[in-house]
Amino acid sequence: MSELIEVQHLTKDYGQGRGIFDLNFSIKKGEVFGFVGTNGSGKTTTIRHLMGFLKAQSGSCRINDFDCWKDSTEIKKSVSYVPGEIAFPDLRTGTEFLKAQAELLGLKSMDRANYLCQKLQLDTSANLKRMSKGMKQKTAIVAAFMADKDILVLDEPTTGLDPLMRDTFLELILEEKERGKTIFMSSHLFNELEDTCDRVALIHNGRIIDITELNDIDNLPTKTYKIGFTNNDDYKKFKRLKFEIIRSQPQYNQVTVKIDNAQINDLIKALTRYEVQYVAEIKFSLEEHFKQALKKYKEGQNV
Amino acid sequence: MFSKALFKQSIKANWVKWISVTTATCIMLAIVIIVLGNLGINDIRDSLKDVFVQADQESQLKEQAVDGYELYVSSATTYPQLHNTMVQGFIQSIISDYQTQLDTLQGQGDISAEQKQQLMQQIANQYAENLDSIAMGTKEYKASFFYNSLFYYDTNSTSLDYDDLIDYAYLTTVYDMAYAQFMAGENATNEEAVMKAIMAKTTAQTAISKYKELGENANYQELGLQYMNTLMYDSTYNLQIQQGASADDAKLFAVSVKVISNTAITSYQFWLNEGGDVTKEEARANACQSISDQIPEKVSEALTELGNMDMYSLIIGSIFYRIAGLLLPMVFVIMAANGLLAGQVDSGSMAYVLSTPTKRRTVAVTQMVYLVTALFSMFALLTAVSVIAVFVSGGNDFAINYGQILLFNLGAYLTMFAIAGFCYMCSSIFNRTKYSLGLGGGLTIFSLVCTILGLFGSTVVPSAMRIEPMNFFNYLSIITLFDTNEIMLGSLDYIWKFAILLGVGLITFIIGVFRFEKKDLPL
Repeated sequence: MSELIEVQHLTKDYGQGRGIFDLNFSIKKGEVFGFVGTNGSGKTTTIRHLMGFLKAQSGSCRINDFDCWKDSTEIKKSVSYVPGEIAFPDLRTGTEFLKAQAELLGLKSMDRANYLCQKLQLDTSANLKRMSKGMKQKTAIVAAFMADKDILVLDEPTTGLDPLMRDTFLELILEEKERGKTIFMSSHLFNELEDTCDRVALIHNGRIIDITELNDIDNLPTKTYKIGFTNNDDYKKFKRLKFEIIRSQPQYNQVTVKIDNAQINDLIKALTRYEVQYVAEIKFSLEEHFKQALKKYKEGQNV
Repeated sequence: MFSKALFKQSIKANWVKWISVTTATCIMLAIVIIVLGNLGINDIRDSLKDVFVQADQESQLKEQAVDGYELYVSSATTYPQLHNTMVQGFIQSIISDYQTQLDTLQGQGDISAEQKQQLMQQIANQYAENLDSIAMGTKEYKASFFYNSLFYYDTNSTSLDYDDLIDYAYLTTVYDMAYAQFMAGENATNEEAVMKAIMAKTTAQTAISKYKELGENANYQELGLQYMNTLMYDSTYNLQIQQGASADDAKLFAVSVKVISNTAITSYQFWLNEGGDVTKEEARANACQSISDQIPEKVSEALTELGNMDMYSLIIGSIFYRIAGLLLPMVFVIMAANGLLAGQVDSGSMAYVLSTPTKRRTVAVTQMVYLVTALFSMFALLTAVSVIAVFVSGGNDFAINYGQILLFNLGAYLTMFAIAGFCYMCSSIFNRTKYSLGLGGGLTIFSLVCTILGLFGSTVVPSAMRIEPMNFFNYLSIITLFDTNEIMLGSLDYIWKFAILLGVGLITFIIGVFRFEKKDLPL
């Protein structure tokens, strides 16, 4: 039973092209799975199905082999949730809220909650209504993480966090991953997914367009370098060599080359003959990858 | 099925509303009952009643005086010509007819006194039926007169004097008619009727003897007036003394009665002498008017109804328990019911409860239990306050007794239970606060407004202020099923109405719970 979360042909049609259509993916135990897409692309709808808040029109989603709709109470024994929209029950302070939540969860000890508060620098004694967006987000994160359940479902968990706090949070995610948690996390920010996820799915207009292993992107067989020369002569000479040049900018004496990883030594040897201003690797990012995937998808649709 | 943690959370979210609504409503109720109890708002009603009762008595006295006067005058003036000249001939033929028939019957065998009376009655009725030409009153009067004549003839046939016969028949008929007239009225006792009849007979007798003494030319109108005034004075005085009043008081009272008598008879005389075409009946009616006759009929009806109106049950029942006292609990229920489900779904905070292993049904049932319990405790307090307030105001002697005030509280609770069920159902069906409040709160307030408007058309409002078509609004409001007026009147119809309210509440709550379990939640 290595597939912990399994989504098959999941469809919810809200009409006018809105909703999610025929989603298929599965997440292994211990995996961090990213879910990326533009606003309104269907991320939250998918998550609501996983949490058993919405009933699938067709298809199914299962967690731990339980149907998310029919056995929604059962799956919540192993799932924690940070909702995308932060609104708290009508209680006074963060402490009161966390205590109420602990009572609902049947938690005896608040140790884990205290640890999380400390890590996220959260003062829970603040009035819930007067909390800033970031504080509310942190409170929601603590409420979800304190139960220490096996699966974390996070809907855009970093919204409202400042960049430093976002890093702390990503650290926390990695820490949880170390502890063997399975994490399903949606976002529209690629870089935070790049730093944490094992796999990322791209959803667009309710359909999954691409699912990528981040390892594959990091270890591509080819790499791209941007090389700047101090003078135009060297630039011209270099261009005559047999490297695959994908972009050249004569006004800056600048070329972009794509080479096999095996060719790297040839390139360095060649460069020693010229006066090189700089060499920079252009990382092939997740964003880049999805842009291409999206482009391909759109072209496919237009045909 | 029930989550203690969630229940606590709901208490924390709503306790401020609960406390303020409960306190305000309790204070309002206590003030209403205690203030009404001490102000004696029914004083106005009682004094209105007094005015009408006095007017009625005065009117009766006037009628008595005028009737006596009329009897006196007619006895002294119309009696002689009518009975001596016209009637005597008829009486003779009646008597001979009777004698013939009696002879025939006696020829066939012995005849009992009863059979004799039957024969007299038969002949009297026969003649009364056929003798339309004689102007001497109604058929009943004629029949009675003829019967009495025959009776006199039968007992005095040996030395029959027609003058005596007619005197006897006339006076006895006066007696009989007066007796019958009094007995036809309400609450008449035999004793009183006999007294009135004797008085009438005495009056007629006095008049006749005066006529015999003074002849045709005396002023019988003046004599009648004096006679009646004296008679009214004497009889009142004697009655007062009999009832234990002091001589001075009795005298004072008798004088006032004499004044009333004098006024009534004098105005009767004026109406007859100077009123032109006014008949005796009209003159009598005009002379005997009391306050209640003088004001227009509609106004007097309205005043009478106002006098009979029960202000306590109107203010405590129809206004407090059905309108004013329901308003704040309604506001509580509308807000709380919405906040318990729809509000939390709309804001998204329900996600926290539902991301714990808490069943949706548990959530729905817990919130329902909270709403019902909060309302119940509110009305339990209200009941305690109302019972104490009634105790302070005089307990069971107060205009509203303990049983009625308990039924008022029960009815108000059941009404709120039904409304709470409906609001809860709306809160469960809709994911949006605006729809949940719009339908649940909207219809609730609509009901209340309809009850306010319907009050002006309902029977608890006196007809002077009532606008009948407004009663239509009562058919649009669920509060109509809580009928405080029926409870006050002691009708048992409220039982099935309460059952409907309970049913509406139960059904809407159950629909709410099941709907919440099955629906999509945007969390």
